[in-house]
Amino acid sequence: MYWLKRYLNIWFAFLRNSLVRDMSFRNNFWLELIAASSWVVMNLGFYILVYQHTEEIGQGSGWHFPEFLCFLATTTLITSVVQAFFMPNAQEFSELIRTGGLDFVLLKPIDTQFLVSFRKVSWSSLGNFVFALGLLGYSVWKMTTAETDPLVLSPIICLLYPLFVLLGIVMMYSLMMILAATSIWLGRNQTLYDFWFYITNFSRYPKEIYSGAWGLPLQYLFLFVVPILLVVNVPARMLAAPFRHQENPGLWYVEWYLPIFMVGAAVVSLSLSRAIFQWALRSYRSSSS
Amino acid sequence: MSIIEIKDLNKTYHVHQKKEGLWGSLTGLFRREYKEVCAVKDLNLQVEQGEFVAFLGPNGAGKTTTLKLLSGVINPTSGSVNVMGYVPWERKNEYRRRFALVMGQKNQLWWDLPARESFRLHQQIYQIDNKEFNYTLTELSDLLQIGKLLDQPVRELSLGERMKMELTAALLHSPEILFLDEPTIGLDVIAQHNIQNFLKYYQKERKITILLTSHYMKDIAALCQRVVVIAQGQLKYDGSLGEIIDQFSSTKEITLSLDTNDQPTGLEDLGEVLEVNLPRVKLRVQRNKVAACISRIMDLYTVEDITVEELPLEEVIANVFAHMSQPSDTDKPNEEIVSSR
Repeated sequence: MYWLKRYLNIWFAFLRNSLVRDMSFRNNFWLELIAASSWVVMNLGFYILVYQHTEEIGQGSGWHFPEFLCFLATTTLITSVVQAFFMPNAQEFSELIRTGGLDFVLLKPIDTQFLVSFRKVSWSSLGNFVFALGLLGYSVWKMTTAETDPLVLSPIICLLYPLFVLLGIVMMYSLMMILAATSIWLGRNQTLYDFWFYITNFSRYPKEIYSGAWGLPLQYLFLFVVPILLVVNVPARMLAAPFRHQENPGLWYVEWYLPIFMVGAAVVSLSLSRAIFQWALRSYRSSSS
Repeated sequence: MSIIEIKDLNKTYHVHQKKEGLWGSLTGLFRREYKEVCAVKDLNLQVEQGEFVAFLGPNGAGKTTTLKLLSGVINPTSGSVNVMGYVPWERKNEYRRRFALVMGQKNQLWWDLPARESFRLHQQIYQIDNKEFNYTLTELSDLLQIGKLLDQPVRELSLGERMKMELTAALLHSPEILFLDEPTIGLDVIAQHNIQNFLKYYQKERKITILLTSHYMKDIAALCQRVVVIAQGQLKYDGSLGEIIDQFSSTKEITLSLDTNDQPTGLEDLGEVLEVNLPRVKLRVQRNKVAACISRIMDLYTVEDITVEELPLEEVIANVFAHMSQPSDTDKPNEEIVSSR
């Protein structure tokens, strides 16, 4: 327990230092906050527009507007946390490698991956987190008060939902660390952000949209090989339970195998990110003085 | 047992050779030639507890690489290093708590925050208790006279002030070994002098072991009893600074003030004429002929004043480097193209 307290203390110091720094550039802070939240608002507007043309996404899937809002809120919760806590560090990691600044990180008597992953926090990205919480509250209220098939929240789901959101964050973090660690071999990794965007793009939609001759292989690829589709889908369908709209959902639709698989996938991806990080460190050659 | 023991240490880098021009870049996308560069070659060295050792050598000689190997930042190609019983590149936390590395060209403090915030973070990372932390910080900031600067963002400090902050950060956890890589680079004479004085005092008080690389001979003359010369990754000399001067400066400089403004004759016979700026004349004379030369000068000219000086240290070291860069027959060239992919 002692080490946990120590690492938490260090993390609080990072949080504090980042906050002091962000506040000292207050115009930049507000600008970032506005830019990030307007993207989320526009994204929301886009889906409001889509739902003016259709009742649900995916015939018979049960993703009506309130359910989809819940899905969107979950996506935003996860991405805002990743962008606030890990994105700045992953980007800086490749910079540290290029400039040789990683030297100083390696000197510290503390776990290197911890130091690399948590050094900086982008507080302005947390604005979206608050926004997403509001959206989540609204969608849950809409679903529980619906006239047909209202949602009944069980306490177990209320406990499991945040837990699986956390697992989703763990998986996103692992993917990001794996991508960032490759910059040790590439020397420079400007494509990190691009790659990140390409891959995570697939995680933003209910898995039902990947159907048919093209969609199904894609769905299996992103469920079981690069399990990015689990990240938002598992917690979101737990809470929104879109299958309740179906006449005879059956056990299959509850799909409890997916959450169980996700626990395994999170453990495996975290261990993999750790292994790749350690492996990459061994190839670090530092830059000349 | 020595505090630092280096045995047959080698570090080879695999460097990509880019061919000239656009075509070279294009072909480089598919097939590349690599060159092996030996940054450190069969290095053997022992350092005792409490020594202040200088690493001297031209750029690219392998000094910084050696410091990086000792601090465990990079792994060697072969050989062994033992520092206080640890293998540096295993990066054990117990080891990392007991030394510090300061690099004059890189900074580790948070750029946009006052140094005090970075120091607090250090306190957490190195687990320094409050009482000790406050005591050490007060002591260091008094010695380096940085008390007033602690609450200013680091980016607003001058280079000299920043280096003092870097030193403070490195010494907060009271390391037993300090690696300094060009700590005075780019600093003005006064700032250099301040840092030298501080290091001298601190090393004497705490009796810590310090390894220093520098290009400023003044640093080395002021601080180090022992000098290690490294060139082309190899140890070329290990001993005191005085011995180097004896060994490599075979000449001295004689400066005369004549009492006449007429062009003196026969100067060339005495030695190499460096400068004639009447009434001042500067000559370079072989070390063993200085006495004879002076008595001849007295015979030939009327002299108002005469001084005999050692060569400037810079020049001696330049001689040392020039001498060492000539590869002997047994030396293999340290760069060779080994592979293409």
